[in-house]
Amino acid sequence: MAIAKAERLMNLALCLMNTRRPVSKRELRASIEAYHEVTSDESFNRMFERDKDDLRELGLVIDTVESIDGEFGYLARRDRNRLPDIALDPEEAAALALAAKVWQQARLAEAASGALQKLRAAGVPYEDANSALEPRIPAPEPAFEALMLATRERRAVAFDYRKANAAHPEPRLLEPWALECWRGHWYVAGHDRDRGAVRVFRLSRITGRVKVRGGFTAEVPDHVDVRETVARWAGEGATAVTARIRLRRDSGYPLRARAVATTPVDAEWDELEVPYGHGLDAWLAEFGPDVVVLAPEELRADLLDRLRAVAKG
Amino acid sequence: MSNAIDQTRRMLSLVTYLRERPGARVDEVARAFGVTEAELIGDLNVLPLCGTSFRGGDLLDIDTDGEHIWWHNPDTAEDVAQPLRLAADEATALLVAARAVANLPGLREGDRQALQRAAAKLEAAAGEAAGASGRLSVTFESEGSVFATVDRALTERRRLWMRYYSPARDTLTEREVDPIRLFAVGHTYVEGWCRLSEDMRTFRLDRVAEIRLLDAPSDPPRIEPRDLSQGLVQPSGDDPEVVIEVGPGGRWVAEYYPHDSAEEQPDGGLRITLRTPDPGSLRRLALRLGRDGRIVSPPDLADGAREAAVRALAAYGE
Repeated sequence: MAIAKAERLMNLALCLMNTRRPVSKRELRASIEAYHEVTSDESFNRMFERDKDDLRELGLVIDTVESIDGEFGYLARRDRNRLPDIALDPEEAAALALAAKVWQQARLAEAASGALQKLRAAGVPYEDANSALEPRIPAPEPAFEALMLATRERRAVAFDYRKANAAHPEPRLLEPWALECWRGHWYVAGHDRDRGAVRVFRLSRITGRVKVRGGFTAEVPDHVDVRETVARWAGEGATAVTARIRLRRDSGYPLRARAVATTPVDAEWDELEVPYGHGLDAWLAEFGPDVVVLAPEELRADLLDRLRAVAKG
Repeated sequence: MSNAIDQTRRMLSLVTYLRERPGARVDEVARAFGVTEAELIGDLNVLPLCGTSFRGGDLLDIDTDGEHIWWHNPDTAEDVAQPLRLAADEATALLVAARAVANLPGLREGDRQALQRAAAKLEAAAGEAAGASGRLSVTFESEGSVFATVDRALTERRRLWMRYYSPARDTLTEREVDPIRLFAVGHTYVEGWCRLSEDMRTFRLDRVAEIRLLDAPSDPPRIEPRDLSQGLVQPSGDDPEVVIEVGPGGRWVAEYYPHDSAEEQPDGGLRITLRTPDPGSLRRLALRLGRDGRIVSPPDLADGAREAAVRALAAYGE
């Protein structure tokens, strides 16, 4: 039976960590039993490169050193791989135990558990996240992982994107700066190379694979506010403009909660002044006969347009 | 079931952990590592097959009697048993989550400060591995004062009274609720036993119009909490089916409503089939969609939306 991959990775990691001098690929191949099973040089080389990448993903810093005769040697230096001392009190330890349970994305959920294991091995006390609070960060969008890595490694990406109201996706070329999750949905902001400007994309509208396309060309700003842009589309940015509507008594609580002024009209109706942001017409349409728009005329026309379409069926 | 990379990560930490704790108890180690005892024994079976020298020999002499774990030659492996630095993924995962939770409006000040202190220490210890964590951020929406009241009710095991907004019916109802837990997935919710509906219910905090702590003790029936990893809305197969046809401008419906299927249409739109215990709640959706989509079935729901639009238009003299 083939030797399990975890055993092979573990042996490679231990050899690289326990040596004080660079060890050559030849030496590693000779000493790690799992590599004996690989007969061709080509498959060994491929396996060795992949194994090194896997260990680096776990945080191991592996140095490559070229010797005088041109052969490469590898080692994981003690000083470069050591976690600096970290002392957490029980509340802090419990806080991290809670944080470690938050991710629902597979890669980061495992990474969070791994981090907690390293910290506990380093002496951080075991504390349970004893809390009736359960925060969750989902990231079911297939593009998430590739974009997270591209953001970290400063790589431009190409993907197909379908705008909210577009029939077909279009190719986009982006230098991704930041990812943000708002109301459970992920967005990416960055420099759109084709448009030469900052753009925000919603990850669920990316279709197909995210492909890496070289490094960044534009300067990355210190602060990227994704949420402000998205909130504005959602009609929630600060707006000084208001609309006047009539609302049937005892209905439309969320409109009342947002209203800047409310005045009773008669036994049945109130008049409200509400912030007029993007998408207000669609929201008001939901209330059907319980809302009447008084002003502005533009909002009234948009709402009537929606209602007429529904009335036609 | 974890993959080879995660198992390797865990075994490397185990080596560090065991070196400092001769005779560690199997149950305690499993708990600290967040794995079952069987998984831990699986790791302990692999470790003695791992050597620390490229010259051969020097296998880790680690064994267990099923209760305690012993390492007989830790001195051969001093360099491999040091605490290991965090990977970029690891630092990112913990830091982003800790910052997101620390920013939850209504969180107890002590909890917030513990999260902030822990994040600061972790960031310092992670060094450059923490660098990329600032590129990722998560906001939980919450109503601070409602959150704090629910949190207090949970701690003091007290019943809550609230006026709650139901968008499906556009009404406010008064309810008494025995809270069980708070959870945040984008928005923040309280799950509890609703004494009005005599059922487990989930309430979104930003739809709570008014809330009060009652003197009565909270006494929810003992029910296994729902598994939320499959999503908040989990329609049942017995629920009525609704078919909605949308044009390109209504494709967002498929992003917001869990559905059974969404077939592409020639015009770039979708034909969406979903199930809901309360189809009437979708009348709002039909009105909102306007020319971007329409309910195909059930027919009475389609008629209800049409009739509501006709009545609304009457107010404008149409």
